[in-house]
Amino acid sequence: MTTVPKRLAVKFNLKNTPSIQPKDIVPIFQRWIQEHTVEGMLIDVIDYKHVADGPGVILIADEGDYGYDLGDGEVGLQYIRKRALPENLSDALRLVIRLAYIASQRLEDEGLEGVTFDYSSAKITFLDRKSYRNQPSAFDAVQSELVEFLTGLYGDEVSVTRAYDDPRELFAVRYSIANDLNVNTLETNLNIVANAIS
Amino acid sequence: MTTWKDILNDQIPEDVGYEIDTFEAQIELRKQNKLDEKVFAESRLRKGAYGQRYDNGQRNDGIRTRELTFPSGDLVKGPDTYWDAPGMQRIKIPYGGLTAEQLDVLSELADEYADGILHITTRQDIQLHYVHIDDTPDLMRRLAAVGITTQEACGNSVRNITACTLAGVCHDEVFDVSPYADAMTQFLLGHDDVQDFGRKFKVAFSGCEGHACGLVKMHDLGLLAQTREVDGETIKGFMVFVGGGLGTVPQQAKVLADFVSEEKLLPLTQAIARVFARLGEKKNRNRARLKFLVSQLGIEEFRRLVQEELEVVPHDDRHTAYLDELGDFTYEPAKAGMSLNGTPLPQGFDDWYRTNNYKQVQAGYSTITLNVPLGDFTSRQGFQLADIARRYVGDNIRLSVEQNIVLRWVADADLPALYRELDEVGLADSGAGTIVDITSCPGTDTCKLGIASSRGLTSELRTRLIEKINLLPDAVRELKIKVSGCFNSCGQHHVADIGFFGNSRRAGNHKMPHFQVVLGGQWNENAGAYGLAVGAVPAKRVPDVLEALTNRYVDERADDENFQTWVKNLGRKAIKEMLTPYMQLATFEEKPEFFTDWGDSRVYTIDDIGVGECAGEVVSLFSMEISRAESTHFEALVALDEGKYELADEQAYKAMVLAARALVRTKFLDVGDDYDNIVNEFRTRFYDTELVYDRFAKGKFARYLFNRHDNTPAKANEDHAHNIIDEAQLFIENIHSAEQRINGVIVS
Repeated sequence: MTTVPKRLAVKFNLKNTPSIQPKDIVPIFQRWIQEHTVEGMLIDVIDYKHVADGPGVILIADEGDYGYDLGDGEVGLQYIRKRALPENLSDALRLVIRLAYIASQRLEDEGLEGVTFDYSSAKITFLDRKSYRNQPSAFDAVQSELVEFLTGLYGDEVSVTRAYDDPRELFAVRYSIANDLNVNTLETNLNIVANAIS
Repeated sequence: MTTWKDILNDQIPEDVGYEIDTFEAQIELRKQNKLDEKVFAESRLRKGAYGQRYDNGQRNDGIRTRELTFPSGDLVKGPDTYWDAPGMQRIKIPYGGLTAEQLDVLSELADEYADGILHITTRQDIQLHYVHIDDTPDLMRRLAAVGITTQEACGNSVRNITACTLAGVCHDEVFDVSPYADAMTQFLLGHDDVQDFGRKFKVAFSGCEGHACGLVKMHDLGLLAQTREVDGETIKGFMVFVGGGLGTVPQQAKVLADFVSEEKLLPLTQAIARVFARLGEKKNRNRARLKFLVSQLGIEEFRRLVQEELEVVPHDDRHTAYLDELGDFTYEPAKAGMSLNGTPLPQGFDDWYRTNNYKQVQAGYSTITLNVPLGDFTSRQGFQLADIARRYVGDNIRLSVEQNIVLRWVADADLPALYRELDEVGLADSGAGTIVDITSCPGTDTCKLGIASSRGLTSELRTRLIEKINLLPDAVRELKIKVSGCFNSCGQHHVADIGFFGNSRRAGNHKMPHFQVVLGGQWNENAGAYGLAVGAVPAKRVPDVLEALTNRYVDERADDENFQTWVKNLGRKAIKEMLTPYMQLATFEEKPEFFTDWGDSRVYTIDDIGVGECAGEVVSLFSMEISRAESTHFEALVALDEGKYELADEQAYKAMVLAARALVRTKFLDVGDDYDNIVNEFRTRFYDTELVYDRFAKGKFARYLFNRHDNTPAKANEDHAHNIIDEAQLFIENIHSAEQRINGVIVS
């Protein structure tokens, strides 16, 4: 069975460069805590907007963090699952993609100008250098399982590539689907019920 | 499954690995409720694993205070500190010196265990935030494999030893203090004489008197490089300052000795530590720093006590052994020094060169300061910077007390290329050391003691000042601003031209975040003077106050009058009058924005303030040392479970020796680490005197130790391992009982 990494992250990028500033996200995430808008034991909001291409603004939670992430020079919503990951990789991926998707939808619901996400592609990051050093061998080890899982999830052909060459970086992959996104298929496979947190 | 311990086993020094294994065992014991929470808290703090805001399980979300129900339930890692609550890991970087490889590993850890950010502190440490306590042993192992320790980074211990970032490349220094800071770090780390303080102990080295350099006058122990001519020979040594400190009651250090030769440096430090451990306050942590002891005794009496102690400090080869290795402390630049001649200069280079460059005393080389906003950089920037360092400066990286990164030994000819590369990774901001380069403690972002948002204010001021930096007169551009989230001075606001520290005021039925304005502190001359508090203003008025102050300074200052002199001449009364219009408190209805803090949309509250762990719990030396015996006993049990019987025997034996040592050290601090000595002292002091005798078993448990000490088993099998582990358990219990009988109630 493929090893489940210690932490696992998924990031959906915005379709276009937004007109809002990262600081505009702080009050939104703080309100999400008040209203328990996304899943998890929500703890705090931390603002790293001053750091170039950094984690932006993070909504810290016990199980996993939601970030309005600026990494790689790409603005997006990243969910990093830190604990209580399912015991097999497919289930772990489904959970993390699901929570990243829901949070992205919630951010779209805020009606901010330019904040619409591209759900047809994403970056998956394995935050675990013990089990997943960023080497071609790591990619070889998980590629087929990732493709099989994502193909099933999207109901479409999926291409997966290794995100970074630098062996010091976290092992990460980028995927994209071949055709137009079928939202219904994706939401059905993620067990997403309209207007529900979980 | 392979563990980090398996992977790194050969790369970690045995004693360091043992310390980490012990801590990991303590984590397990605490989870099983077999280790007192206060003892564990102090152990954890001494490993640099610190609490963070909201770890008491409560957070005000702006509407109400919510309970944070962590998965491990009531399990705590210290008083009111829940196990699963995110914590901070402080990592000691002695004198701020880093290699490229170390920077790579620190960056990896930020990715995997924290939030992807490395934070530089005002003591040249690195801090990682939002770290789970369960992750800390592996984090420590990965650091240990590249020569970094977190040992004694927090708690009542010797904190990271700091030194000027220009040491070794400075025009004005008497000599390079770096190797001395390094030697003292090695000598004091884990030393028996620094384990029983009532409070932390901070040491700094400085190479010269005139600049800010090491800020020796605000330290518990400050060492200023000096030389003396003796019989025609130049002798190196230090002027020694003691009892300085910031905090709520700032005090300038006093001169303990005008000159102490390098041979006497370590024994003198040891003597000071022993006096502090013996006579320093232990119960009231608010008066437990060395500065209070020095004030209470007077410097003359303190000097006499140290001199007296110096005469009985046991001989230690390490006192002078490091002197033979001073010559090995050299710098290897990546490139030969070459002047900057005719190379096309990129846009922005001139401003950057003017503020971020220091021409080294070595011809053809520069030291470059990277202006790191709020001391934060990402793990990717860490990797990129490590690569840049490898290309341009090798391992000559340092962290500064102004929360910046310093690259030393840059060949001048490389400066344009270096600038371009730093610019590509977002680390080429100009203005290092100027008014835009503001120092800030974590404040309410993550600190349990934070009252106002120091980082929020710093971010706001920085943004505003950068926009108009080119319009500011030089006199204003050169000012230093430092911000603390409370009165504890972690942002070092006392030694800034303009300092701020967080507090709050009531306005109607609401609390309003405020900052106390502190003016006229002196950064130069090793933090030569502390500023004066002149009044508290609402947090949202601070930018206006700053503008009013600097405008008036520019308008009224005499030629070449510096800010400290201008403040002094203007007088506190006039300054107060200037601030008064900004002190008026609006009502919540009139100005609701004044009732939120910078960078925070929640209605302000002080409900989130917790109990600080800065000082650690005051836990007895015995409690700390017996907990190490218990952890080692736990390791023996693990070895037994894994079928490693010889290891189980060794660990059980070691646990008994450590327990005996813990008791011996309540009467004889200098027993040392030699097993024979420990057992002999234990026998003489506690067994022969029957002090350790159990009411019914008499000396039976002590004899378990003597038997094992005298008879090493030829080969330990399972039965033997089982027996000796049981005996060790009984022996440890016996030591606990004896200690309570002999010394009374344990503080734990």
